[in-house]
Amino acid sequence: MLRRLASLKFTLVGMVLLAGGAALSYGNPVETSVWVLIVPLALLALNLAAAIVTNPRINRQPGLLVFHICLLATVLLAGLGRLTHLDAHLEIAQNEVFSTDTLQEVKKGPWHSGNLDKIQFIQGTYTVNYAKGLKRGLTHSEVFLPGLGGATVVQIVGDDRPLILERYRFYTTHNKGFVPILTWLPNQGEPVTGRINMPAYPLYDYKQDNSWIPSGTKEEIKFWLQLQTGMTMDEAWVLDGRNATGTLVVTSGGKRTELEPGDEVSLEHGRLRFESLTTWMGYRVFYDPTIQWLFWVTVVGVFGLTHFFWVKLNLVPWMDEGDERGSKV
Amino acid sequence: MNIVAEQPWLWAGLGAYLVATLVAMWGVSPRSENSALVANKTHEKLVLGFIVLGVLLLTVAIAARWIRIGHGPWISLFELLMSQVWSLGLIFAVLYWKLPGLRPSTVIVMPVMWILGSWVLLLEPGISHFPATYYNVWKWSHVGLGKIFLALLLAGVGLGGVMILRTTERGRTWFRAMPSDAVIDKLAWRMMMLALVFDSLMLIAGAVWAQDAWGRYWAWDSLETSAFLTWIFLAIGLHVRLTYKIKPWVSGAIIIGVFIMAFSTYFGIPYISTSAHKGMV
Repeated sequence: MLRRLASLKFTLVGMVLLAGGAALSYGNPVETSVWVLIVPLALLALNLAAAIVTNPRINRQPGLLVFHICLLATVLLAGLGRLTHLDAHLEIAQNEVFSTDTLQEVKKGPWHSGNLDKIQFIQGTYTVNYAKGLKRGLTHSEVFLPGLGGATVVQIVGDDRPLILERYRFYTTHNKGFVPILTWLPNQGEPVTGRINMPAYPLYDYKQDNSWIPSGTKEEIKFWLQLQTGMTMDEAWVLDGRNATGTLVVTSGGKRTELEPGDEVSLEHGRLRFESLTTWMGYRVFYDPTIQWLFWVTVVGVFGLTHFFWVKLNLVPWMDEGDERGSKV
Repeated sequence: MNIVAEQPWLWAGLGAYLVATLVAMWGVSPRSENSALVANKTHEKLVLGFIVLGVLLLTVAIAARWIRIGHGPWISLFELLMSQVWSLGLIFAVLYWKLPGLRPSTVIVMPVMWILGSWVLLLEPGISHFPATYYNVWKWSHVGLGKIFLALLLAGVGLGGVMILRTTERGRTWFRAMPSDAVIDKLAWRMMMLALVFDSLMLIAGAVWAQDAWGRYWAWDSLETSAFLTWIFLAIGLHVRLTYKIKPWVSGAIIIGVFIMAFSTYFGIPYISTSAHKGMV
């Protein structure tokens, strides 16, 4: 039974099915079930496990044995990774403390159990370099971490240098923009200070707008941010929120008012004060506890394969008639 | 038309490859059989010499472009093709030198390089933008391993092509100086085995780079899917050869099939897909 399961013909069927599954998975289409990959991978894993036990071509040659065990481990680790992973996005404003509540588009495996709630950092400022023609270059994003004895540690992250905390990896993205900080002073009740994230900048330079309805009212307040950032297509430029200024155009109930930081406007249900202009940074959040293991297992596997070929290629001279098929190695 | 710094060197390098191709073709032709140059294998030294000269000239072309635009040949199709023509020539020259048995297959290998060479001549050598994700050091290993992988596949294609052409009378005449099909088949699949090692390492390095660059090591984007299919086709080819006694021409056809898949992964998919990966950003 095990020998039948270990058949090379069965391996070929599994590989052809896996190739079909991979082709169907191109672009992660919603209509394609993950089973198109799981089924062939499960078949191949069974076939491989049986071959490791029963096939002397594999289990009597150390290099090939290591390679196939690592191949099996890779499949298992990748599966475990999907069951325990977390993928999410985050928009965090300058001086804002990270909170799990701010995560968006969260996708996680059923066995995910990381220490996300233990993560503490505060977002600082950031700069993004642009080449002529508004081509994005390096991002330098400042984050503040709690250090020993209540000290604060500053770390610069960006692009391929993620912030890694509790094995969660926070990668800066192209998604970043400006945030007016506003205080709403209702006619009745306590003042509330909050922020309105404007669309990504400079991607949506032409539509820096958003809207908000104060709690307990039906009054929609529309915001349009007129930015002066020095952005230019003609030469290199650095996006830096500290060098940017903005005028906030507030429209409500047919009334249009332009606000500078510190200005306020009276509306039907209260007063709105434009406190300051700051920035937000978009991060991709990634967690997969298996990635280091996956790396080492695949590397060891390839070295096993290399060892096998090294031995094999040295046994039979390169230009001889010797047959390499079957067990004549 | 403005001629930029790298172009004269590029043309000269491709010219040297062309001379190598013509000498190799003359060497396999039955008309040259009685020539002293062929009889004492001097023409093989000429072929190797012109390939090496081409590589040296292309090295200068790449360096000139690097100095002109401030970064290596990583981004545009023009740069990728130029750098592939360089690396394929370099690695094939080493194989040509070390493995005399494959030398006549140059008449198949060099025209494939010429497809790339002709293609690059049709492209604008405009300045490309160096994306932030390309500062990552894993780029070097990913690209370097990929170059070795493709060159080994190309050497396999040369040998596979010989096995296919030898089913014809003309092919048997051209490749009369080469070893038997059994030896060529063995040599071709050794190239495939080594290609599998370098392909696997390239995928690992690429996954590490993707994790750093885009925050995920695998996402089934167009290039990743195509690269994985190339790897699995190569693995299928190796297992087919282990499982069945296949005829040499079938063996050659499998190798060429894997190469076509790899070729489209390198030079097709990144430039027709609209995915974020796109091979460059």
